[in-house]
Amino acid sequence: MKGALRLSAVNDAAAQLGLVPGLALADARARYPRIAVADADPAVDARTLAAIADWCDRYTPLVGLDPPDGLLLDITGCAHLFGGEEAMCRDVVERLARHGFHARAAVADTVGCAWAVARYGDPVIPGKAASPESITAMEHGFRAPAIGRYRNDGERIFIVSSNDTREVLIPLPLAALRIDADTIAALAQVGLKRIADVIDRPRAPLAARFGEAFVRRIDQAIGREDEPIAPRLPVPPYVTERRFAEPIAREEDVLGTIEHLARELAGLLERRGDGARIIEVALFRTDGKVHRIAAGAGAPLRDPARMRALFVERLAAIGDEYDPGFGYDVVRLAAFATERADPTQTGLAASDHAAELAHLIDRLGARFGLRRVTRLIPRDTHIPEFAVTAVAAASSAYATSALETRGAKSHRPLPRLRLSNPEQIPSAHTEQDSLAPTRPVRLFEQPERIEAIAEVPDGPPVQFTWRRVRHAVAHAEGPERIAMEWWRDEHGRRLTRDYFRVESREGLRVWLYREGFFNDRAPPHWFLHGVFA
Amino acid sequence: MVSATADATLRHLRNSLATIEKSTGFPDDAGVLAIGLRPLDAALGGGLARAALHELAPAAPAQIGAASGFALALAALATAGGRTALFVQTDFSAMEAGALYGPGLDCLGLPMKRLIVLRVPRPVDVLWACEEALKSRGVAAVVAELPQTGAAADLTATRRLTLAARTGGNLGLLLRQHPSPVATAASTRWEISASPSVPDRYGGLGRTTFDLSLNRNRRGRCGRFIVCWDHHARVFLPAALSLGMAAASCNGSADPQLLARAVTGWR
Repeated sequence: MKGALRLSAVNDAAAQLGLVPGLALADARARYPRIAVADADPAVDARTLAAIADWCDRYTPLVGLDPPDGLLLDITGCAHLFGGEEAMCRDVVERLARHGFHARAAVADTVGCAWAVARYGDPVIPGKAASPESITAMEHGFRAPAIGRYRNDGERIFIVSSNDTREVLIPLPLAALRIDADTIAALAQVGLKRIADVIDRPRAPLAARFGEAFVRRIDQAIGREDEPIAPRLPVPPYVTERRFAEPIAREEDVLGTIEHLARELAGLLERRGDGARIIEVALFRTDGKVHRIAAGAGAPLRDPARMRALFVERLAAIGDEYDPGFGYDVVRLAAFATERADPTQTGLAASDHAAELAHLIDRLGARFGLRRVTRLIPRDTHIPEFAVTAVAAASSAYATSALETRGAKSHRPLPRLRLSNPEQIPSAHTEQDSLAPTRPVRLFEQPERIEAIAEVPDGPPVQFTWRRVRHAVAHAEGPERIAMEWWRDEHGRRLTRDYFRVESREGLRVWLYREGFFNDRAPPHWFLHGVFA
Repeated sequence: MVSATADATLRHLRNSLATIEKSTGFPDDAGVLAIGLRPLDAALGGGLARAALHELAPAAPAQIGAASGFALALAALATAGGRTALFVQTDFSAMEAGALYGPGLDCLGLPMKRLIVLRVPRPVDVLWACEEALKSRGVAAVVAELPQTGAAADLTATRRLTLAARTGGNLGLLLRQHPSPVATAASTRWEISASPSVPDRYGGLGRTTFDLSLNRNRRGRCGRFIVCWDHHARVFLPAALSLGMAAASCNGSADPQLLARAVTGWR
């Protein structure tokens, strides 16, 4: 029956008719011709699950995905904020139900136990709770008998107390151990069907026959082996949040809340002497959508007003995508990347230009993207277009300010020349003999092809036509031969350029080059690469 | 009697206008950026007003190098204390008229480490970024380049930029790629082209020479000036008498008396 369409999931009504996932569609149609069928779309399901995981962030920052249909939440130390484990579970299930999801929640000491109970711990008939989370449970068609060991509310919430893990697990089928179907079948062949059948058996023969993984699952379920939850999102070191009984929607309210939170965050940061480099605000919309807006800072940031200013720009830049809908009920501000921010001594009279500049860079970066705000850094190459590179100013701004503070701390006096006039230090390019600059002030990304006539084959041009205007050359300097570094020139394609600085009769100064050498077969091409001041 | 009350009313109105203008930030004479050339400084009333907006445009599209060179030279003067300048340009104009070239900036006398370059997608973003930067105390000068005539920078926009420059006490330079006929609130408006240089004694290229037409000046006369830029010392020098100078005096665009004084001054 390869290639046949099969049911991948069924809803409550279908389950009550006795349809189970894995059944061929033709069989199902033969039994009930009028069932409604939709194509399975695992990608969309995964996205939905991720969105629910995002939403679950309101309960704990440690949310792990358990595809295809489960979520793992580490609620250690969080439950009391929601009035205890049971209240928290009820909150999760009820809120999800309001969004149209049937969810089953289990709280247990181990991931394995919670997983098993959420899927198989159903004391009632199969199909009563057809939820994304319990579909896997239905595949096998049988149910554990009613277990009285846990509190059970509305058949959707299961709280397993610490001492009961073992007792709760024992009556469940082996599939509750998160093992694959082949292993289950192999175990069934030798008559092992329930956890009770294997839990007290010697580990070594089981491992030899059914694999290490199987034994590990048993140990994980009863807590003999530790099992961490891999969080879906990084867990921020600093978090502040505010919850609202009545959702807020106005942008001013959101920004006001952000500033409040920023003040709290600043307090937390200050206590540890840190400053934030990446801050993120998470806006939990009442309909379950979560907006996450991140902003970067060039230097460690602690000032609440500046944090607010960054988000003003971010919200403006996001524009229409930011849609409050019916409002946000949770606003959370978190600092993800932090760095040490020692307080600096500032002058009493002069305003702090460096700090102002860092703030300006941050705001421009928040609006246009940090990589658009750049500083130019020279590089060690002769090829003109690669001699300079643009790096994000936010990264280098911090580097330079850190350098400056380090310089200030050292007791060795700096050379006097540097102190008095730092710009007098000659660089490779400015150290020049000519009265005219040797490099153009603007360079074209793509050198522009021009028509040029030279008096002698390898001499400077006497006239050239650029952008349909003819210019007669009054003065020219050159050639300055720039060739590719020999160690890069593997294939012998020598990109040799002879550059000329040329001044037209009107005073226009441009940087031209002739590509390649002159030979009889093909006249060389001329290009205009930049313009001088 | 009537004229006396009218006078009083007028004076009162002027005073209140002055207080409104002053209260928005720095007074008009927060400082001037002395160009270092007597005729030019005299025409500008001591120098280029720092806390103000100035408009620059090349006389012809091909002269964009000269116009940006002059703007960057002014930025070099404004940042002489070791402060930073911001250059804002749209992606389109970087493609069309070339991007700033770091080694060339070093050559011109504005070290690239003193410059922050911002690329924005739209012309209105240039204006927004320029206004933000002018208000901030973090930069000393802002050069905002608008593609084409920069139609986005109309009277209202330039008025906003002027107020921003006054708030922050920063030098704002609005660089258009073509001269614009629309009204402006900028303090000065310049048209710039390169002028033939005087070759050095070996016949090589001489100093960078600008032919500046000051077409609009809120504080004084307009005029035409030929100046050289010494990129080693970072100062403007009077142009050695050359064809350009002769053209300026023949043209009549410059005030003859001023020019005569200038020439004697330079000698």
